[in-house]
Amino acid sequence: MPDIISVENLSKSYGSTKAVDGLNLHIRKGEFFGFLGPNGAGKTTTIRMLTGILKPDHGKIAIDGRPSEDKQQIAKVIGVIPESRGFYEWMTAVEYLGFFADLYGIAGKEKDDRIASLLSEVDLTKRKDSQIGTYSRGMRQRLGLARALINNPQVLFLDEPTLGLDPQGQEDIQLLLKKLNVKGVTIFLSSHLLNEVSNLCSRIGIINNGKLVAEGTVDELREKTKLNKDKTLTDIFLNLTRNNP
Amino acid sequence: MFTHIWKKEIQGELYTWKSMLWLVIASLLFSFTSYLLLTNAELSLLDQTELMWLLGKIVIGVALLIVTIDASSILNTEFEKETAESLFLAPISISDFILGKLFASLALWAAIFIVSIPYILVTSTGSHLALAFLGYVALLGTLGVLGLIFLIFGISLLYRSSKNTITTALIILLAFATPALFASNLKNDIVSQAFSAANPIDNIFSSLDNVLVDYKTSLLENWQFLLPLVLFCLITFAFLFWSARRFEKKGVIKND
Repeated sequence: MPDIISVENLSKSYGSTKAVDGLNLHIRKGEFFGFLGPNGAGKTTTIRMLTGILKPDHGKIAIDGRPSEDKQQIAKVIGVIPESRGFYEWMTAVEYLGFFADLYGIAGKEKDDRIASLLSEVDLTKRKDSQIGTYSRGMRQRLGLARALINNPQVLFLDEPTLGLDPQGQEDIQLLLKKLNVKGVTIFLSSHLLNEVSNLCSRIGIINNGKLVAEGTVDELREKTKLNKDKTLTDIFLNLTRNNP
Repeated sequence: MFTHIWKKEIQGELYTWKSMLWLVIASLLFSFTSYLLLTNAELSLLDQTELMWLLGKIVIGVALLIVTIDASSILNTEFEKETAESLFLAPISISDFILGKLFASLALWAAIFIVSIPYILVTSTGSHLALAFLGYVALLGTLGVLGLIFLIFGISLLYRSSKNTITTALIILLAFATPALFASNLKNDIVSQAFSAANPIDNIFSSLDNVLVDYKTSLLENWQFLLPLVLFCLITFAFLFWSARRFEKKGVIKND
Protein backbone atom coordinates (compact mmCIF):
# COMPACT_ATOMS: atom_id res chain seq x y z
CA MET A 1 0.00 0.00 0.00
CA PRO A 2 1.31 3.47 -0.83
CA ASP A 3 1.75 6.13 1.88
CA ILE A 4 -1.22 8.47 2.14
CA ILE A 5 0.45 10.57 4.84
CA SER A 6 4.15 11.17 4.61
CA VAL A 7 6.00 13.37 7.09
CA GLU A 8 9.73 14.07 6.90
CA ASN A 9 11.71 15.82 9.63
CA LEU A 10 8.78 17.98 10.78
CA SER A 11 9.55 20.65 13.38
CA LYS A 12 7.66 23.45 15.06
CA SER A 13 8.73 25.71 17.92
CA TYR A 14 6.79 28.18 20.05
CA GLY A 15 9.42 30.64 21.17
CA SER A 16 12.16 28.55 22.75
CA THR A 17 9.89 25.50 23.25
CA LYS A 18 10.15 22.78 20.64
CA ALA A 19 6.59 21.49 20.23
CA VAL A 20 7.49 19.05 17.45
CA ASP A 21 11.08 18.04 16.85
CA GLY A 22 12.17 16.22 13.70
CA LEU A 23 9.06 14.04 13.35
CA ASN A 24 8.99 11.34 10.66
CA LEU A 25 5.78 9.44 9.92
CA HIS A 26 4.55 7.23 7.12
CA ILE A 27 0.94 6.13 7.15
CA ARG A 28 -0.39 3.76 4.55
CA LYS A 29 -3.70 4.02 2.73
CA GLY A 30 -6.55 2.45 4.73
CA GLU A 31 -4.60 2.33 7.98
CA PHE A 32 -6.14 3.16 11.38
CA PHE A 33 -3.27 4.97 13.05
CA GLY A 34 -3.30 5.88 16.72
CA PHE A 35 -1.27 8.87 17.83
CA LEU A 36 -0.53 8.91 21.53
CA GLY A 37 1.37 11.16 23.84
CA PRO A 38 1.14 12.88 27.21
CA ASN A 39 -0.36 16.38 27.49
CA GLY A 40 1.81 18.91 25.69
CA ALA A 41 3.73 16.22 23.79
CA GLY A 42 2.96 17.82 20.40
CA LYS A 43 -0.04 15.78 19.19
CA THR A 44 -2.37 18.70 18.43
CA THR A 45 0.46 20.75 16.91
CA THR A 46 1.28 17.79 14.63
CA ILE A 47 -2.37 17.40 13.56
CA ARG A 48 -2.63 21.15 12.93
CA MET A 49 0.45 21.05 10.72
CA LEU A 50 -0.77 17.96 8.86
CA THR A 51 -4.13 19.61 8.20
CA GLY A 52 -2.60 22.92 7.06
CA ILE A 53 -3.85 25.02 9.99
CA LEU A 54 -0.34 25.65 11.29
CA LYS A 55 2.79 26.25 9.23
CA PRO A 56 5.75 24.03 10.17
CA ASP A 57 9.14 25.64 10.80
CA HIS A 58 10.91 22.81 8.99
CA GLY A 59 10.12 19.58 7.25
CA LYS A 60 7.96 18.16 4.51
CA ILE A 61 4.38 16.94 4.60
CA ALA A 62 2.57 15.15 1.79
CA ILE A 63 -1.05 14.02 1.95
CA ASP A 64 -2.17 11.68 -0.83
CA GLY A 65 0.96 12.68 -2.74
CA ARG A 66 0.21 16.41 -2.52
CA PRO A 67 2.67 18.71 -0.76
CA SER A 68 1.36 20.73 2.19
CA GLU A 69 1.61 23.95 0.14
CA ASP A 70 -1.31 22.64 -1.92
CA LYS A 71 -3.67 23.41 0.98
CA GLN A 72 -6.85 23.82 -1.08
CA GLN A 73 -6.44 20.42 -2.77
CA ILE A 74 -5.49 18.70 0.48
CA ALA A 75 -8.56 20.20 2.18
CA LYS A 76 -10.73 18.39 -0.38
CA VAL A 77 -9.42 14.93 0.55
CA ILE A 78 -9.24 15.25 4.31
CA GLY A 79 -11.82 15.49 7.06
CA VAL A 80 -10.91 16.78 10.52
CA ILE A 81 -12.33 16.91 14.01
CA PRO A 82 -10.06 19.62 15.41
CA GLU A 83 -9.21 20.32 19.01
CA SER A 84 -11.23 23.56 19.00
CA ARG A 85 -14.87 22.60 18.83
CA GLY A 86 -16.64 25.86 18.04
CA PHE A 87 -19.96 25.78 16.22
CA TYR A 88 -22.24 28.45 14.79
CA GLU A 89 -24.72 28.12 17.62
CA TRP A 90 -27.54 29.93 15.80
CA MET A 91 -27.54 27.47 12.90
CA THR A 92 -29.48 24.23 12.75
CA ALA A 93 -27.60 21.01 11.97
CA VAL A 94 -28.95 21.07 8.41
CA GLU A 95 -27.86 24.69 7.89
CA TYR A 96 -24.45 23.96 9.43
CA LEU A 97 -23.73 20.96 7.22
CA GLY A 98 -25.23 22.84 4.25
CA PHE A 99 -22.81 25.72 4.81
CA PHE A 100 -19.82 23.37 4.82
CA ALA A 101 -21.18 21.46 1.82
CA ASP A 102 -21.30 24.81 -0.02
CA LEU A 103 -17.67 25.49 0.91
CA TYR A 104 -16.70 22.12 -0.60
CA GLY A 105 -18.70 22.88 -3.73
CA ILE A 106 -21.29 20.16 -3.06
CA ALA A 107 -24.66 21.32 -4.36
CA GLY A 108 -28.20 20.34 -5.33
CA LYS A 109 -29.53 16.84 -4.73
CA GLU A 110 -26.08 15.48 -3.88
CA LYS A 111 -25.86 18.01 -1.04
CA ASP A 112 -29.33 17.19 0.33
CA ASP A 113 -28.72 13.43 0.10
CA ARG A 114 -25.34 13.62 1.77
CA ILE A 115 -26.62 15.79 4.62
CA ALA A 116 -29.57 13.44 5.19
CA SER A 117 -27.38 10.35 5.16
CA LEU A 118 -24.74 11.88 7.49
CA LEU A 119 -27.38 13.08 9.94
CA SER A 120 -28.85 9.60 9.99
CA GLU A 121 -25.39 8.03 10.46
CA VAL A 122 -24.61 10.24 13.46
CA ASP A 123 -28.16 9.84 14.77
CA LEU A 124 -29.14 13.50 14.61
CA THR A 125 -32.05 13.27 12.17
CA LYS A 126 -34.64 13.93 14.88
CA ARG A 127 -32.88 17.14 15.96
CA LYS A 128 -31.78 18.28 12.52
CA ASP A 129 -33.88 21.45 12.66
CA SER A 130 -32.92 22.46 16.20
CA GLN A 131 -30.34 25.18 16.78
CA ILE A 132 -26.88 23.83 17.62
CA GLY A 133 -26.90 26.03 20.73
CA THR A 134 -29.44 23.63 22.23
CA TYR A 135 -27.31 20.50 21.58
CA SER A 136 -25.60 18.42 24.26
CA ARG A 137 -21.83 17.84 24.13
CA GLY A 138 -22.32 14.38 22.62
CA MET A 139 -24.60 15.73 19.90
CA ARG A 140 -22.03 18.40 19.05
CA GLN A 141 -19.29 15.77 18.81
CA ARG A 142 -21.44 13.74 16.44
CA LEU A 143 -22.27 16.84 14.40
CA GLY A 144 -18.55 17.62 14.25
CA LEU A 145 -17.95 14.15 12.87
CA ALA A 146 -20.70 14.64 10.29
CA ARG A 147 -19.04 17.91 9.24
CA ALA A 148 -15.68 16.17 8.94
CA LEU A 149 -17.30 13.61 6.62
CA ILE A 150 -19.25 16.04 4.43
CA ASN A 151 -16.68 15.85 1.60
CA ASN A 152 -16.31 12.03 1.69
CA PRO A 153 -12.69 12.33 2.84
CA GLN A 154 -9.99 9.77 2.12
CA VAL A 155 -8.18 10.65 5.33
CA LEU A 156 -9.78 11.51 8.64
CA PHE A 157 -7.82 13.35 11.35
CA LEU A 158 -9.42 13.10 14.76
CA ASP A 159 -8.17 15.04 17.77
CA GLU A 160 -9.76 13.47 20.86
CA PRO A 161 -13.09 12.73 19.12
CA THR A 162 -14.67 11.07 22.15
CA LEU A 163 -13.46 13.59 24.74
CA GLY A 164 -16.11 14.21 27.38
CA LEU A 165 -18.56 11.66 26.02
CA ASP A 166 -20.35 9.05 28.12
CA PRO A 167 -19.52 5.35 27.41
CA GLN A 168 -22.54 5.02 25.09
CA GLY A 169 -21.47 8.10 23.11
CA GLN A 170 -17.89 6.81 22.93
CA GLU A 171 -19.03 3.45 21.62
CA ASP A 172 -21.31 5.04 19.00
CA ILE A 173 -18.42 7.08 17.61
CA GLN A 174 -16.01 4.14 17.76
CA LEU A 175 -18.44 1.96 15.80
CA LEU A 176 -18.84 4.67 13.20
CA LEU A 177 -15.07 5.04 12.87
CA LYS A 178 -14.66 1.27 12.46
CA LYS A 179 -17.27 1.29 9.68
CA LEU A 180 -15.49 4.16 7.93
CA ASN A 181 -12.15 2.39 8.16
CA VAL A 182 -13.65 -0.79 6.70
CA LYS A 183 -14.89 1.34 3.80
CA GLY A 184 -11.26 2.35 3.14
CA VAL A 185 -10.96 5.68 4.94
CA THR A 186 -7.52 6.20 6.48
CA ILE A 187 -7.88 7.35 10.08
CA PHE A 188 -5.35 9.30 12.13
CA LEU A 189 -6.62 9.23 15.70
CA SER A 190 -5.18 11.19 18.57
CA SER A 191 -6.66 10.15 21.89
CA HIS A 192 -5.95 9.88 25.58
CA LEU A 193 -8.18 6.84 25.88
CA LEU A 194 -5.65 4.05 25.51
CA ASN A 195 -8.35 1.37 25.45
CA GLU A 196 -9.99 3.14 22.54
CA VAL A 197 -6.71 3.30 20.64
CA SER A 198 -5.85 -0.29 21.47
CA ASN A 199 -9.27 -1.52 20.22
CA LEU A 200 -9.40 0.54 17.06
CA CYS A 201 -5.91 1.12 15.73
CA SER A 202 -3.82 -1.19 13.59
CA ARG A 203 -0.65 0.79 14.30
CA ILE A 204 0.32 3.26 16.99
CA GLY A 205 2.83 6.09 17.21
CA ILE A 206 3.88 7.52 20.57
CA ILE A 207 5.16 11.08 20.77
CA ASN A 208 6.88 12.60 23.76
CA ASN A 209 8.39 16.08 24.01
CA GLY A 210 7.83 16.55 20.28
CA LYS A 211 9.72 13.40 19.28
CA LEU A 212 8.31 10.11 18.03
CA VAL A 213 9.62 7.66 20.60
CA ALA A 214 8.06 4.48 19.21
CA GLU A 215 5.90 3.26 16.37
CA GLY A 216 4.29 -0.07 15.51
CA THR A 217 1.53 -2.51 16.45
CA VAL A 218 0.76 -3.10 20.12
CA ASP A 219 2.81 -6.33 19.97
CA GLU A 220 5.75 -4.57 18.34
CA LEU A 221 5.66 -1.85 21.00
CA ARG A 222 5.51 -4.49 23.73
CA GLU A 223 8.53 -6.18 22.21
CA LYS A 224 10.37 -2.89 22.02
CA THR A 225 9.74 -2.16 25.71
CA LYS A 226 10.53 -5.77 26.65
CA LEU A 227 7.33 -5.98 28.68
CA ASN A 228 5.46 -9.21 29.38
CA LYS A 229 2.56 -10.30 27.18
CA ASP A 230 0.02 -9.56 29.90
CA LYS A 231 0.98 -5.87 29.95
CA THR A 232 -1.51 -3.46 28.41
CA LEU A 233 -1.04 -0.49 26.14
CA THR A 234 -1.19 1.73 29.23
CA ASP A 235 1.91 -0.02 30.65
CA ILE A 236 3.68 0.27 27.31
CA PHE A 237 2.76 3.95 27.02
CA LEU A 238 3.96 4.78 30.54
CA ASN A 239 7.16 2.82 30.01
CA LEU A 240 7.93 4.63 26.77
CA THR A 241 7.04 8.15 27.92
CA ARG A 242 8.74 7.85 31.33
CA ASN A 243 11.90 6.39 29.85
CA ASN A 244 12.10 9.08 27.17
CA PRO A 245 11.80 12.32 29.13
CA MET B 1 -16.50 30.87 -2.48
CA PHE B 2 -16.68 34.09 -0.45
CA THR B 3 -20.39 34.38 -1.26
CA HIS B 4 -21.13 31.42 1.05
CA ILE B 5 -19.31 33.16 3.90
CA TRP B 6 -21.10 36.40 3.05
CA LYS B 7 -24.47 34.63 3.09
CA LYS B 8 -23.66 33.05 6.44
CA GLU B 9 -22.68 36.46 7.85
CA ILE B 10 -25.82 38.13 6.55
CA GLN B 11 -27.89 35.36 8.14
CA GLY B 12 -25.95 35.26 11.40
CA GLU B 13 -24.92 38.89 11.82
CA LEU B 14 -27.29 41.18 9.95
CA TYR B 15 -30.56 39.37 10.64
CA THR B 16 -30.00 39.46 14.37
CA TRP B 17 -31.41 41.54 17.19
CA LYS B 18 -28.01 43.27 17.51
CA SER B 19 -28.02 44.53 13.93
CA MET B 20 -31.70 45.39 14.03
CA LEU B 21 -31.02 47.39 17.19
CA TRP B 22 -28.26 49.30 15.39
CA LEU B 23 -30.69 50.16 12.60
CA VAL B 24 -33.36 51.26 15.07
CA ILE B 25 -30.79 53.44 16.88
CA ALA B 26 -29.70 54.92 13.54
CA SER B 27 -33.26 55.67 12.47
CA LEU B 28 -34.08 57.21 15.87
CA LEU B 29 -31.04 59.46 15.58
CA PHE B 30 -31.97 60.45 12.03
CA SER B 31 -35.60 61.10 13.08
CA PHE B 32 -34.52 63.21 16.03
CA THR B 33 -32.04 65.21 13.93
CA SER B 34 -34.49 65.78 11.07
CA TYR B 35 -37.26 66.74 13.48
CA LEU B 36 -34.99 69.24 15.24
CA LEU B 37 -33.67 70.67 11.99
CA LEU B 38 -37.16 71.17 10.57
CA THR B 39 -39.07 72.31 13.66
CA ASN B 40 -36.65 73.99 16.06
CA ALA B 41 -37.19 77.75 15.86
CA GLU B 42 -33.48 78.60 15.67
CA LEU B 43 -32.30 75.66 13.57
CA SER B 44 -35.09 76.19 11.05
CA LEU B 45 -33.62 79.63 10.36
CA LEU B 46 -30.62 77.92 8.79
CA ASP B 47 -30.38 77.73 5.05
CA GLN B 48 -31.81 74.45 3.66
CA THR B 49 -28.41 73.40 2.28
CA GLU B 50 -26.92 73.82 5.74
CA LEU B 51 -29.64 71.58 7.17
CA MET B 52 -28.79 68.99 4.52
CA TRP B 53 -25.09 69.35 5.30
CA LEU B 54 -25.72 68.74 9.00
CA LEU B 55 -27.88 65.69 8.29
CA GLY B 56 -25.29 64.32 5.83
CA LYS B 57 -22.59 64.63 8.49
CA ILE B 58 -24.78 62.82 11.01
CA VAL B 59 -25.72 60.00 8.60
CA ILE B 60 -22.09 59.32 7.68
CA GLY B 61 -20.83 59.84 11.25
CA VAL B 62 -23.38 57.40 12.69
CA ALA B 63 -22.63 54.87 9.93
CA LEU B 64 -18.87 55.09 10.57
CA LEU B 65 -19.40 54.53 14.29
CA ILE B 66 -21.77 51.56 13.86
CA VAL B 67 -19.65 49.92 11.16
CA THR B 68 -16.53 50.39 13.36
CA ILE B 69 -18.17 48.58 16.26
CA ASP B 70 -19.60 45.82 14.05
CA ALA B 71 -16.49 45.26 11.91
CA SER B 72 -14.30 45.05 15.03
CA SER B 73 -15.96 41.80 16.01
CA ILE B 74 -16.98 40.25 12.69
CA LEU B 75 -13.59 38.57 12.05
CA ASN B 76 -12.59 38.10 15.66
CA THR B 77 -15.75 36.25 16.59
CA GLU B 78 -14.48 33.29 14.50
CA PHE B 79 -11.31 33.12 16.63
CA GLU B 80 -13.02 33.82 19.94
CA LYS B 81 -15.81 31.28 19.42
CA GLU B 82 -13.29 28.75 18.05
CA THR B 83 -15.01 28.36 14.69
CA ALA B 84 -12.02 29.60 12.66
CA GLU B 85 -10.21 26.25 12.70
CA SER B 86 -13.15 24.32 11.22
CA LEU B 87 -13.74 27.09 8.69
CA PHE B 88 -10.13 27.15 7.48
CA LEU B 89 -10.06 23.35 7.26
CA ALA B 90 -12.49 23.71 4.35
CA PRO B 91 -10.98 24.66 0.98
CA ILE B 92 -11.24 28.43 1.47
CA SER B 93 -8.53 31.04 1.21
CA ILE B 94 -7.87 34.03 3.41
CA SER B 95 -9.22 36.24 0.57
CA ASP B 96 -12.53 34.34 0.60
CA PHE B 97 -12.71 34.82 4.35
CA ILE B 98 -11.96 38.55 4.19
CA LEU B 99 -14.20 39.23 1.18
CA GLY B 100 -17.16 37.40 2.77
CA LYS B 101 -16.81 39.44 5.94
CA LEU B 102 -16.15 42.67 4.02
CA PHE B 103 -19.37 42.39 2.03
CA ALA B 104 -21.29 41.65 5.24
CA SER B 105 -19.94 44.84 6.84
CA LEU B 106 -20.71 46.80 3.68
CA ALA B 107 -24.24 45.38 3.80
CA LEU B 108 -24.66 46.99 7.23
CA TRP B 109 -23.55 50.33 5.77
CA ALA B 110 -25.98 49.81 2.87
CA ALA B 111 -28.79 49.13 5.36
CA ILE B 112 -27.98 52.31 7.32
CA PHE B 113 -27.87 54.29 4.07
CA ILE B 114 -31.25 52.89 2.99
CA VAL B 115 -32.72 53.83 6.38
CA SER B 116 -31.38 57.38 5.92
CA ILE B 117 -32.88 57.90 2.44
CA PRO B 118 -36.34 59.10 3.60
CA TYR B 119 -34.71 61.59 6.00
CA ILE B 120 -32.38 62.86 3.29
CA LEU B 121 -35.32 63.26 0.90
CA VAL B 122 -37.51 65.04 3.47
CA THR B 123 -34.73 67.45 4.44
CA SER B 124 -33.90 68.23 0.82
CA THR B 125 -37.49 68.57 -0.46
CA GLY B 126 -37.63 71.31 -3.08
CA SER B 127 -33.85 71.64 -3.33
CA HIS B 128 -32.22 71.13 -6.73
CA LEU B 129 -29.33 69.47 -4.82
CA ALA B 130 -31.43 66.57 -3.45
CA LEU B 131 -30.07 63.96 -5.86
CA ALA B 132 -26.48 65.23 -5.65
CA PHE B 133 -26.78 65.16 -1.85
CA LEU B 134 -28.03 61.56 -1.90
CA GLY B 135 -25.32 60.51 -4.37
CA TYR B 136 -22.52 62.16 -2.40
CA VAL B 137 -23.68 60.68 0.92
CA ALA B 138 -23.58 57.26 -0.81
CA LEU B 139 -20.18 57.85 -2.41
CA LEU B 140 -18.42 59.53 0.52
CA GLY B 141 -19.96 57.12 3.03
CA THR B 142 -18.91 54.09 0.96
CA LEU B 143 -15.32 55.35 0.62
CA GLY B 144 -15.09 56.21 4.33
CA VAL B 145 -16.65 52.92 5.44
CA LEU B 146 -14.52 50.88 3.02
CA GLY B 147 -11.24 52.44 4.21
CA LEU B 148 -12.28 51.99 7.81
CA ILE B 149 -13.23 48.32 7.29
CA PHE B 150 -9.86 47.62 5.61
CA LEU B 151 -8.12 49.23 8.60
CA ILE B 152 -10.23 47.37 11.19
CA PHE B 153 -9.85 44.00 9.43
CA GLY B 154 -6.09 44.55 9.29
CA ILE B 155 -6.04 45.24 13.03
CA SER B 156 -8.35 42.24 13.68
CA LEU B 157 -5.98 39.83 11.92
CA LEU B 158 -3.11 41.15 14.04
CA TYR B 159 -4.88 41.06 17.41
CA ARG B 160 -7.52 38.32 16.90
CA SER B 161 -9.38 39.91 19.81
CA SER B 162 -12.58 41.96 19.55
CA LYS B 163 -11.82 43.93 22.70
CA ASN B 164 -8.36 45.06 21.52
CA THR B 165 -9.59 45.73 17.98
CA ILE B 166 -12.59 47.82 19.04
CA THR B 167 -10.48 49.89 21.46
CA THR B 168 -7.84 50.60 18.80
CA ALA B 169 -10.45 51.26 16.10
CA LEU B 170 -12.44 53.68 18.27
CA ILE B 171 -9.26 55.58 19.20
CA ILE B 172 -8.40 55.92 15.50
CA LEU B 173 -11.96 56.97 14.65
CA LEU B 174 -11.90 59.57 17.43
CA ALA B 175 -8.51 60.83 16.27
CA PHE B 176 -9.98 61.39 12.81
CA ALA B 177 -13.41 62.64 13.90
CA THR B 178 -12.53 65.12 16.65
CA PRO B 179 -10.36 67.51 14.58
CA ALA B 180 -12.91 67.27 11.76
CA LEU B 181 -15.49 68.83 14.09
CA PHE B 182 -13.30 71.86 14.88
CA ALA B 183 -14.18 75.12 13.17
CA SER B 184 -11.90 75.92 10.21
CA ASN B 185 -10.50 79.05 11.92
CA LEU B 186 -8.94 76.71 14.50
CA LYS B 187 -6.94 75.01 11.77
CA ASN B 188 -4.74 77.85 10.61
CA ASP B 189 -1.30 76.39 11.30
CA ILE B 190 0.49 74.13 8.81
CA VAL B 191 0.26 70.97 10.93
CA SER B 192 -3.52 71.29 11.37
CA GLN B 193 -3.99 72.05 7.70
CA ALA B 194 -1.85 69.08 6.65
CA PHE B 195 -3.71 66.76 9.01
CA SER B 196 -7.01 68.17 7.81
CA ALA B 197 -6.04 67.56 4.17
CA ALA B 198 -5.16 63.93 4.92
CA ASN B 199 -7.95 63.21 7.41
CA PRO B 200 -10.66 61.12 5.68
CA ILE B 201 -13.47 62.42 7.89
CA ASP B 202 -12.41 66.02 7.29
CA ASN B 203 -12.46 65.33 3.56
CA ILE B 204 -15.92 63.74 3.74
CA PHE B 205 -17.32 66.78 5.55
CA SER B 206 -15.47 69.26 3.29
CA SER B 207 -16.75 67.51 0.17
CA LEU B 208 -20.34 67.67 1.48
CA ASP B 209 -19.75 71.34 2.21
CA ASN B 210 -18.39 71.85 -1.30
CA VAL B 211 -21.46 70.19 -2.84
CA LEU B 212 -24.16 71.71 -0.67
CA VAL B 213 -22.84 75.12 0.28
CA ASP B 214 -20.70 75.97 -2.78
CA TYR B 215 -22.95 74.04 -5.23
CA LYS B 216 -19.93 72.22 -6.74
CA THR B 217 -21.59 68.94 -7.59
CA SER B 218 -19.36 67.32 -10.21
CA LEU B 219 -16.73 64.74 -9.26
CA LEU B 220 -14.04 66.89 -10.89
CA GLU B 221 -14.91 69.79 -8.61
CA ASN B 222 -14.48 67.50 -5.62
CA TRP B 223 -11.26 65.75 -6.63
CA GLN B 224 -9.21 67.42 -3.87
CA PHE B 225 -11.45 65.70 -1.28
CA LEU B 226 -12.06 62.45 -3.11
CA LEU B 227 -8.38 61.82 -3.84
CA PRO B 228 -7.33 61.70 -0.15
CA LEU B 229 -10.29 59.40 0.51
CA VAL B 230 -9.23 57.06 -2.28
CA LEU B 231 -5.65 57.22 -0.96
CA PHE B 232 -6.93 56.40 2.53
CA CYS B 233 -8.65 53.32 1.09
CA LEU B 234 -5.51 52.28 -0.79
CA ILE B 235 -3.26 52.71 2.25
CA THR B 236 -5.62 50.81 4.55
CA PHE B 237 -6.00 48.11 1.86
CA ALA B 238 -2.19 47.78 1.72
CA PHE B 239 -2.19 47.43 5.53
CA LEU B 240 -4.91 44.75 5.34
CA PHE B 241 -2.93 42.94 2.62
CA TRP B 242 0.20 42.94 4.77
CA SER B 243 -1.76 41.80 7.81
CA ALA B 244 -3.40 38.97 5.80
CA ARG B 245 0.00 37.78 4.53
CA ARG B 246 1.30 37.78 8.09
CA PHE B 247 -1.80 35.84 9.20
CA GLU B 248 -1.17 33.25 6.49
CA LYS B 249 2.44 32.91 7.58
CA LYS B 250 1.56 32.50 11.26
CA GLY B 251 -1.35 30.11 10.66
CA VAL B 252 -4.94 30.18 11.83
CA ILE B 253 -4.06 29.29 15.41
CA LYS B 254 -2.19 32.01 17.25
CA ASN B 255 -0.24 30.31 19.99
CA ASP B 256 3.27 31.60 19.67
